[in-house]
Amino acid sequence: MTVDTCSDDSLVDFSADGDLVAEMADRGWGDGLPLVAPTPERVDAMLSGLNELDSPSLDPDEVISILPPRFGEASRRILAVNAVMAGCLPVHFPVLVAAVRALARPEVNLRGINATTHCVAPLLIVHGEIARTGGYNGGLGAFGPGNRANATTGRALRLVLLHVAGATIGAGDASTQGGPAKYGFCIAENMDASPWPTYPTTVGVNAPSAVTIYCGEAPHNVHDMESDNPSQILNKVASAMATTAQNNACISQGEYLVALCPEHAATCAEAGWSRHDVASYLFQKARLPAAELKEAFSLRAWPPWMNSLNDDELAPMTGDQKNIRILVVGGPGKHSSVVPSWGMTRSVTVAVDQQVSC
Amino acid sequence: MLIYRPDGAVAQDLDRSAPELAPALPVLAGCRIGILDNRKPNADVLLHRLANRLVERTGAIVVRADTKNAALPCEDQVLGLLAEQVDLVLTGTAD
Repeated sequence: MTVDTCSDDSLVDFSADGDLVAEMADRGWGDGLPLVAPTPERVDAMLSGLNELDSPSLDPDEVISILPPRFGEASRRILAVNAVMAGCLPVHFPVLVAAVRALARPEVNLRGINATTHCVAPLLIVHGEIARTGGYNGGLGAFGPGNRANATTGRALRLVLLHVAGATIGAGDASTQGGPAKYGFCIAENMDASPWPTYPTTVGVNAPSAVTIYCGEAPHNVHDMESDNPSQILNKVASAMATTAQNNACISQGEYLVALCPEHAATCAEAGWSRHDVASYLFQKARLPAAELKEAFSLRAWPPWMNSLNDDELAPMTGDQKNIRILVVGGPGKHSSVVPSWGMTRSVTVAVDQQVSC
Repeated sequence: MLIYRPDGAVAQDLDRSAPELAPALPVLAGCRIGILDNRKPNADVLLHRLANRLVERTGAIVVRADTKNAALPCEDQVLGLLAEQVDLVLTGTAD
């Protein structure tokens, strides 16, 4: 059991031969899985992951974000503590720091994300050079399991939400059923197999390394092993999008993340389709009769033009084509996925190197 | 074994874990009641029923305000107007 609290209240004294997980749980810490003890030596080593990016003067105790609903102060040191607990290596740490900066952006609406009864979890997507140097997997089995970088960085982000943001079950997280993505939700963009420019450039981020935070459900699989043209594949993607069983159906500002596997993306690109073409097609095809949507949701966060649609007209599943985000993820095979949004949130992409050197 | 706490401090100016409650009104008769509908399903039904009962019993006056969406905090402007216009607010429904 916990012995006592030291004079420095950022440190606590735990029994060296005790059950760390149990002792942590007694204090309301942890995610239920085994943890690495965040000793000062390990935390210092984790912080060195930032120094390797030529930023030796960074103050480890500078508060870089304040995270609701607890309004906890996320300093680099606190983030490093959680990274150690999750099993990250120092090379992964800049990704976590950038991800937390992205999470704190107001358009993400982190208080809502954490506190809602919905099952939403922040998906962390790693782009560019740091995906390679950090060993992040955007290929076969990218959503897991088996890759340390994806597993531990995704888990570290969840630990930050639990500990710093206070998104603990009941007190700060009202999710009715919870969800597996709340343990860890991290992938890389598969740039080696993508026929299109890297995703961050599509949202105006031109940097060697970047991360995207997208708050949504767990992925919904789309299987197509027979089509040899884009429209047949994308009709199935549109089918996965066009359902009343997701928040997008009543919140028009909601985004969709469409994670195309490399083979589906190649079929689109070989037919001359750009990422913009794919999103345009899905915007046109992912629709339901307005009457069906109105009957399903008496309260709708729709713009006036959507509310004015006649019952027999088709309403798009999102209010703007720009809300459909196309990413290439995965390895060999013909399975893509759709990640519906929570709705009242926007994805955010930030550069990793700029975030740690400012 | 010394280890770091993983939670850190709470921002002093944003600690809302224990908000200070306004003093209770001693008498409701004649007071102005605000309804802050957070747009959750059936919130309007519950809040209006409650307000109407208070009007019947006390002669209170009802003022209504809405948030734009249940997933977003109420705008400061709306809260400011309510603070000027009413003596108490009924709100706080969920799913």
